[in-house]
Amino acid sequence: MHLHFVGILAPALLRLEDQSLNLAIETRTLTKTYKSRSGAINVVHNLDLQVEPGEIFGFLGPNGAGKTTTIKILLGVIYQTSGEAYVLGKEAGDIEVHKQISYLPEKPYYYEHMTGMEIMQFYASLFGIKDDDKCRKLLDRVNLGNDMNRPISQYSKGMQQRVGLAQSLLNDPQILFLDEPTGGLDPIAHIEIRDLILQFRDEGKTVFISSHELSDVERICDRVAIINKGEIVAQGRLEDLLVGGRIEVTANNCTDEVAASLRGEDTLVSINHGRMIVDLPDSLSPNEVVLKIQTAGGEIVSVIPRRKRLEDLFLEAVGKDNKAKGRQLKSMVGSTEEAAS
Amino acid sequence: MNAVVAIAKTTVGEAIRRKVLLIILLIGALLLAIAPALEALSPRQEMTVLRALTLGVIQMTSAVIAVVLTVYMIPNEIERRTIYTILSKPVRRWQFLVGKYLGAVSALGLMMALMTLVMLFVFLITRKVDGVSELAAIAKVPFAFFVQMSLLAAVAVFFSTFVSPIVNFFLSGGVYLVGTLFDSFFKTLSESKDVPQALKGVAIVIHLLVPNFQSFNVQNAAVNPGQGIQGEGIMYLNLALYAFTYIAILLIGGIIVFENREV
Repeated sequence: MHLHFVGILAPALLRLEDQSLNLAIETRTLTKTYKSRSGAINVVHNLDLQVEPGEIFGFLGPNGAGKTTTIKILLGVIYQTSGEAYVLGKEAGDIEVHKQISYLPEKPYYYEHMTGMEIMQFYASLFGIKDDDKCRKLLDRVNLGNDMNRPISQYSKGMQQRVGLAQSLLNDPQILFLDEPTGGLDPIAHIEIRDLILQFRDEGKTVFISSHELSDVERICDRVAIINKGEIVAQGRLEDLLVGGRIEVTANNCTDEVAASLRGEDTLVSINHGRMIVDLPDSLSPNEVVLKIQTAGGEIVSVIPRRKRLEDLFLEAVGKDNKAKGRQLKSMVGSTEEAAS
Repeated sequence: MNAVVAIAKTTVGEAIRRKVLLIILLIGALLLAIAPALEALSPRQEMTVLRALTLGVIQMTSAVIAVVLTVYMIPNEIERRTIYTILSKPVRRWQFLVGKYLGAVSALGLMMALMTLVMLFVFLITRKVDGVSELAAIAKVPFAFFVQMSLLAAVAVFFSTFVSPIVNFFLSGGVYLVGTLFDSFFKTLSESKDVPQALKGVAIVIHLLVPNFQSFNVQNAAVNPGQGIQGEGIMYLNLALYAFTYIAILLIGGIIVFENREV
């Protein structure tokens, strides 16, 4: 009986171990604590992350949530207080792993006296690569072929970001860590960078993106994790996380009595000069609402299903204990979307 | 090794474009150029004044450049986040620190060579030296200064791994002053039998820890024509070995601190 149990369990445990080794990035109860005069501050607390190879993983959270700290631990430039962090199955910071990863920081700075080509040659030399042709091809790929001999000080922000992406491809990395890759870019540069990231996935690379640009993340990421105050508050595939959309019913000639009868725990109703908007979860049928409105003499204008968006999920996850910040983030998301459109 | 050389080359490129360093260099070169005119105003119309003055200008300018160049080196890399893109590549922290140090010393060497050339040019056109041998004797002194400044740069790089640039400026400057002006004082104190044991202990520690920058001041023979140094080659070799030992200790110390530091 006992042997039989072990016989069943052992392959399962081996599969689990294999899965762990096959993950591109994994953290287990990762914690980073800083000491301050007012006591210890947990910047990252019991963080469990799993990133599959070949996926675009969005790492989201408000400012100060612990995103950059987590990336720095994964890169080995700072050290965790407790827990474990693995990149490509090896401990974070392992120099062998660094040959297979790349990092693009938020607002990267490059030595301004150098040209785009010299920047590429410098970073290539850190890998022991002496291949000017490769540097040229990568600069061509990010549309900087004609500007490679101009000093970096003359580059726009978008061009500097593209040099950053080009240098991050020098070692043909398996994992790319991108910290706010589209932050502060104009709409065209924004779209160019987004398209490049999608190309990386097509090439089989794992892309780990820390970003505030929720519309981008929703468009390109396979899975996301939302971190708030150092802890993961949501993690999973986008299609699994974004279940539970809303339906918006708009009607004219409605009365306050109909509006009051439709209001429910999860049904929001607003009415203004007879024009009523009913916002209900997609788990409820809109037929009943439509029928009630029509019976009371109302005129249906539209019934629009609206799927749940990452912005909604983000605000649910992060805004629960910080509504003011949530509103601020919502306005930020709105302005980003306007800029992008 | 590729990484060390690449980082050193980039550091040189950055350093020779830093405006503050170029201004200090310009002031130094300007002082060297007008030195003969200052000498004319001096009551003592002797060669020694001009030689002491020009070598003094090179030494002081180099000391300021060495400290200013190195105190901001690591903090700037952290503030501008360049360190993250570098350390996320297969570059070990010791390679980064050694590369930065070698780059700083190379830039310092270039600047000192330029000042030495200006000085020699001034001597040539004002005919203040008698022949090539005398010119060569003067030209050797900046080499000793260069070794001295390389040691000072190592002190500043060591401190830069754990203190802020401003604190580092005063710490490194303080070590240089103590090592130049008070080394013999602390040596005498540490050997004296008439001082309290505690004070003697402090003097011994300071005398051992602080490099003797005074021993690199070898300009007397060049300043005063006719004087010479016995066993000059051995003396220069000893100076180089002394400096190299201290530099190695300081860099190893800096690496140990930097390896454990969060950037």
